[in-house]
Amino acid sequence: MTRLQREAWAVLIILLIAAGVAYVHATTTTEEYSRYNIGWNGTSNLAGETVRDFADLDPGATLLILAPEGEFSTEEVADLRAFLDSGGRVLIADEEGGANQLLADLGSTIRVRPGNLASLDRSYADPGLFLGHVVGNASHVAGVKTVLLNHPAAVEGGEPLIETSVLTWDDLDGDGRVSGSETFARRVVSAYEGNLTVLGDPSLFINAMLAENPTFIQNLQPLQIDGRHSRTGTENPVINITQWIRETPPATAALAALVILPVAYRFGRKEDE
Amino acid sequence: MMNRRASYVILAAATVLVIALLAAEAADPVLYTAENITTGAHADPKTIDGQKNNAAAVVPLMDELLDQTGTLTLTIKLRDYESAERDLARYSELTSQFDRLVITLDASETELGEFQRNNRKNLEALASLLNDTRRFDHLQRLEIQVQDGDQRRAIAYEGEALRQKMQKTYSAYASRESVMTGIGERYGLNTTPYRESVGHFSEIVDAADDWHRATAPQQSPLGITVTPAEGRYGETIRIAGRYARGTPGTPVEIYIDSRAAGTATLNADGTYAWPYRIDRVAAGPHLVYAAADAVYSGVESFQALPDETAISLAVAGASGTTVTCTGNLTTIEGLPVAGAPVSIRVDGETLVDTETGEDGTYEQVIALPAGEHTLRAEFHGGGFPLNASESETATIVVRGEGLPLIPFVAALAAAAGTAWYLRRRETPEAAPIPQPSQAIVHQPPPKVEIADLAPHEAATVLFGALRDRLGIKKTKTPRDCARIAPDYAWFFERYEQIRYGGEEPTKEEIRRMKDVILGGDEAAA
Repeated sequence: MTRLQREAWAVLIILLIAAGVAYVHATTTTEEYSRYNIGWNGTSNLAGETVRDFADLDPGATLLILAPEGEFSTEEVADLRAFLDSGGRVLIADEEGGANQLLADLGSTIRVRPGNLASLDRSYADPGLFLGHVVGNASHVAGVKTVLLNHPAAVEGGEPLIETSVLTWDDLDGDGRVSGSETFARRVVSAYEGNLTVLGDPSLFINAMLAENPTFIQNLQPLQIDGRHSRTGTENPVINITQWIRETPPATAALAALVILPVAYRFGRKEDE
Repeated sequence: MMNRRASYVILAAATVLVIALLAAEAADPVLYTAENITTGAHADPKTIDGQKNNAAAVVPLMDELLDQTGTLTLTIKLRDYESAERDLARYSELTSQFDRLVITLDASETELGEFQRNNRKNLEALASLLNDTRRFDHLQRLEIQVQDGDQRRAIAYEGEALRQKMQKTYSAYASRESVMTGIGERYGLNTTPYRESVGHFSEIVDAADDWHRATAPQQSPLGITVTPAEGRYGETIRIAGRYARGTPGTPVEIYIDSRAAGTATLNADGTYAWPYRIDRVAAGPHLVYAAADAVYSGVESFQALPDETAISLAVAGASGTTVTCTGNLTTIEGLPVAGAPVSIRVDGETLVDTETGEDGTYEQVIALPAGEHTLRAEFHGGGFPLNASESETATIVVRGEGLPLIPFVAALAAAAGTAWYLRRRETPEAAPIPQPSQAIVHQPPPKVEIADLAPHEAATVLFGALRDRLGIKKTKTPRDCARIAPDYAWFFERYEQIRYGGEEPTKEEIRRMKDVILGGDEAAA
């Protein structure tokens, strides 16, 4: 191999590595809960099918609505109600109160009380990482006694499903200590009404937490993840364009044509020559 | 040649510089700590230190503490002092466990802290109740045996002091009932034993009152006054009186809470005075009486008022892995607090204990692992009429014992490797140069046509022709050829300058090079 060839190969390998890095960089994101975030706070490793139309839900699956944002239309609420009535399970994971309007529209008495629960009764230096105790009976928590929570919020109403220990407080000032008007009390972090379950901790589904509660996560399967209102999407234009092309057959066909036509043209010219 | 060598040197220097920079960073644990480990919504459990804090024991321990008060007061009421001693020891042990737990959990400012402080007072009250009840029994027995008037009076005075003390202790104990049971009920504890203990305590004090009514002391010839009736830490209370029957120089024993606190001397005018500085006594009421020549005074009291405190903390790096914590503890008025226990909380968990000196300052050297640490000094107030306080949190980065060795070894190895590589390139001893006589096969002079070629291209044709003529492989570079055939070195080196240096050969040079091709070996030199 001549020196020129060696240099050419080296440049090629460097270009390939750079292209690979650029591709990974352009098609990933660091946005919280995003399905395209492969980091610790993304949900790329959560097994489940993303759905955008509530009329097409699988009655045998659990629908996860994760940290919802925006208003649900009347049709969407009606579809969700029909899904619940047909025996489908809905799990709404929210800690900011974005789900409260939907819960009201669904006729549920459960509400999320935004907050930042912390506990003395914990296994980590971070007071927001602590165990919740299963106190109710639902299929999500079959065989589960404790769930590692990650900065959850309390929920009110419904039948309690997961509770904290009595040494829990709402860390309003975020200083990790019980101070000011903060007081210890047992809090409910998950409650249910029929097939509808509300969990005050969407963090349970981020990549870093999946291994902490394996049975709980497994119990949710088969899982469908809402892609319209959940914060599982991204603002990344490259990802969104790629996704749009994948989901739009004419765009996929156009892209395929863009790739094939130059090749065909090139081969056509060669034959002519 | 020079430019290439300079490039290699710069590359090697840059490599060493990068590794050296990494080595410097290697000493900083931040390098190994994932950034953004916590957002407003969650933390990554893999990057958070595990911690077992035994908080699960808090509620059961509180339940046991409340339960213990009922058992202890019952055994005291039944005058079963042996069982009471055992119960008190158990109660004291549980209280110590709970105190440590509350401090370890950094929960002093919470309801748990309030429960702990009240429980600590309850322990002191019940220990005092046991001692006082036992002494009361003793006095009752003495009162029956003793016939002497002065001795009976002494018994009556001490009995009165004890009765007053028990009454005050009971009042304080009963006043904590609502707080203790309120907290207990919020935590789902059984508060019945504590309520029962208040009842038992009341019955014991009532029994003492009954005995007192039967043996009330008469007016004592040994007078006593306490002024002022209340004071704060560091203030002095004057205990004074007159002993009409005493002779000058008679010692007058001063008792505070039934314990000998000091001795005054009777003056020529029959008066005595003794200053008492409030320091290591708990906040609350304290009983005072005096005794001289087996004559007891009446019983007076003073109140130790709780005062606020302030504690400071300064942290300085002492050596590689230790830091020196210094500071001082004062009352809010700036009075230094001497001999007070100070705890330094490291990273919100570990507690290191030290004590203030006479001037209220403290100093403690603490060994810490490399990394960033937070420290806070805390004073918990126990045994002083002072409220708890804590300093601002100080943050310090411990660098560790110098820089780690491995990165420097790696840097040196990289430098050595680079040097070896450069040396190998310059003196390729690995591939011995064959002697021209052995390696070079002289071919007949080839036919070379360069008339129509540009000088640059002509040089290339001539180089190829000479290489073929000498039987050197086509893969060899001009520099390789110069090494293989040193007799023609000037030809190959000139061609290298033309080919790679971009120099333009003159017609004369082309002619000389062609002569070499055509003229044979004699033209080479």
